[in-house]
Amino acid sequence: MFRYIVRRLLLLPVVVLGVTFLLFFLTQRLSPEMRASLYVKDPRQMGALEEVIRQYGLRDNVFKQYGRWLGQVAKGDLGYSPSANMPVSQALKEYLPATVQLALVTMILVVFFGVWFGVFSAVHKDKWQDSLARVVSVGGFSLPIFVLGLLLLMLFYGKLGWFAPGGYSFQTDLIIHGPSFKTYTGFLLVDALLNGNMRVFGDVLSHLVLPAVTLCIGSFALMVRVMRSSMLEELNKEYVRTARAKGLSPRQVVYKHAGKNAIIPVITLASIQFIRLLGGTVIVETIFDYPGIGRFGVMAAQQLDIAGILGFSLMVAVLFVLGNLLSDILYTAVDPRIRLE
Amino acid sequence: MKDPFVLQVNDLHIHFTADGHSVPVVRGLSYTLATGRVLAVVGESGSGKTVHALSLLGLLPPAAHVEKGEILYKGKNLLTMPENQLRTIRGRKISMIFQDPSASLNPVLTIGEQLIETLRAHRPLPPKEARKEAVQLLEQVGITQADKRLDEYPFQFSGGMCQRVMIAMALALSPDILIADEPTTALDVTIQAQIIQLIKQLQGKNGMAVIFITHNLALASQVADEVLVMYGGLCMEQAPVDELFNHPKHPYTRGLLASLVSVDAERPDRLPAIGGTPPVAGECGCGCPFAPRCSYAEAKCSHQLPPLLAQVNHRVRCWPEELP
Repeated sequence: MFRYIVRRLLLLPVVVLGVTFLLFFLTQRLSPEMRASLYVKDPRQMGALEEVIRQYGLRDNVFKQYGRWLGQVAKGDLGYSPSANMPVSQALKEYLPATVQLALVTMILVVFFGVWFGVFSAVHKDKWQDSLARVVSVGGFSLPIFVLGLLLLMLFYGKLGWFAPGGYSFQTDLIIHGPSFKTYTGFLLVDALLNGNMRVFGDVLSHLVLPAVTLCIGSFALMVRVMRSSMLEELNKEYVRTARAKGLSPRQVVYKHAGKNAIIPVITLASIQFIRLLGGTVIVETIFDYPGIGRFGVMAAQQLDIAGILGFSLMVAVLFVLGNLLSDILYTAVDPRIRLE
Repeated sequence: MKDPFVLQVNDLHIHFTADGHSVPVVRGLSYTLATGRVLAVVGESGSGKTVHALSLLGLLPPAAHVEKGEILYKGKNLLTMPENQLRTIRGRKISMIFQDPSASLNPVLTIGEQLIETLRAHRPLPPKEARKEAVQLLEQVGITQADKRLDEYPFQFSGGMCQRVMIAMALALSPDILIADEPTTALDVTIQAQIIQLIKQLQGKNGMAVIFITHNLALASQVADEVLVMYGGLCMEQAPVDELFNHPKHPYTRGLLASLVSVDAERPDRLPAIGGTPPVAGECGCGCPFAPRCSYAEAKCSHQLPPLLAQVNHRVRCWPEELP
């Protein structure tokens, strides 16, 4: 168990260095002038380009520039992001909690309904309930996220006006940036509860609904399929026969005996999806104008905000490794064979 | 009048359905089992012995179903009993142990959890009491440091130890009948002897009836009071153990006995065996399924199934009346 964690943590620098160097190398395809131009807004000051290039050493060898960037990162300085108009580290601090919040809510929905539907489907194998669950999951699987997102936005915002895009309403913006609202965690849902402000909580939650549902559908479909096949496999095993022969109720046989074994592959899938959500809710955050790091990453990429792109990728790489670590820990919690070896 | 038989199986037919075809795997099996007796069901793989055992508990795989027949436990037909009532019998009145003990235990639950849930499924027991009983049960099957081992997982137990746990679990509620489906096949020979010893000892103590399913005739002779030989889904011969071993009537039984290897006897150059291969279910036409391999077969044998004829307590299914 301890060795597991250490091994994962040793992987962290390798992944982070690999990802960031690759990106850094790609940004070098842009000429130093292009990279410098972002910091010079006024066309009349074009002469200052050379000044910027010299100041930041943009003509230096790529390894030298990368080394310098790493040195700054080590000091906690990720540079300034022109696209977000603030230091990269501050931008991440601002946008990351919103994304984590969205990813968590999505995952809770996906795991809860996915597992439930998968079990339901497996227990009623080849009956109409199973067919229904399979049609729903294939349908969800085949629907592209951007199509679904736009459809939901049209229906629930355009037509019905139930849920608005964005992260929160204008009133909430005033409250949370007002003097009486204290920030504890950066997660608005949690902070709203800690402040005892149910209006903010409700508002933030209602803004989460559409992006979460959109993100849910594809992952949900996959989850149902994995849970179903895993459950079917377990239900055929001999220990299930033993459990039935002992006179246990069908509920105990299915949920306690088969379920606890069937959930193991689901944990892997869920953690992969969770990591993907953390780093890649780009499309959904853009569609719903949700203030998370995905949207930040897109803005940075569109505006050639190199510091922003690198900061975003660094974040995603770290989350990737930590997500895998989390899945390992969850694994050991369920499977004693791994825990005790 | 009290029924002397704890279990009565009457004309049991079990079919498998595959690709729309219904294939018989058990054909008209009948026997009775008295309290405290051990019946060995002997047969090759595919003879229907395990399927028949699963049907006793209503645990047939989805592809199989009982075509007709009766399974009477103390006079009540288990085949028509509703599922929730059947559940009160499973594990409590009739329990079962299986061939592969390591696969028969849930890998992610502790031994204790699996033992205790068996107890609590049938009796309202507070957790502490249940644990105490579980410790006693493990001790009873010869597992030392039982209290500590309750918190361990099946993968920390050897195969023989897992089978002991299975036995403890099966006997937890002092059932009337224990079905042992090849309980020692997956274990090595020294462990085999210990497990057989244990089953016999506990059987004597609890006075339960045992259905012992095996392909090993020698093993059957050690544990059983009575032996039932199955072939191609049919009962071929049934007799008390001494009678069967001293006066086997059916050519198949004789073949089986002839292929037993004795430690004391002179070693033959070739181990005796019955020529040919066992029939595939559904492919043995209307005659005796053993006819193609039988050296006494007559013309009649291959197209007409012999009836199971009884002489006192010895039943045999064979046409040729005068076997040498």
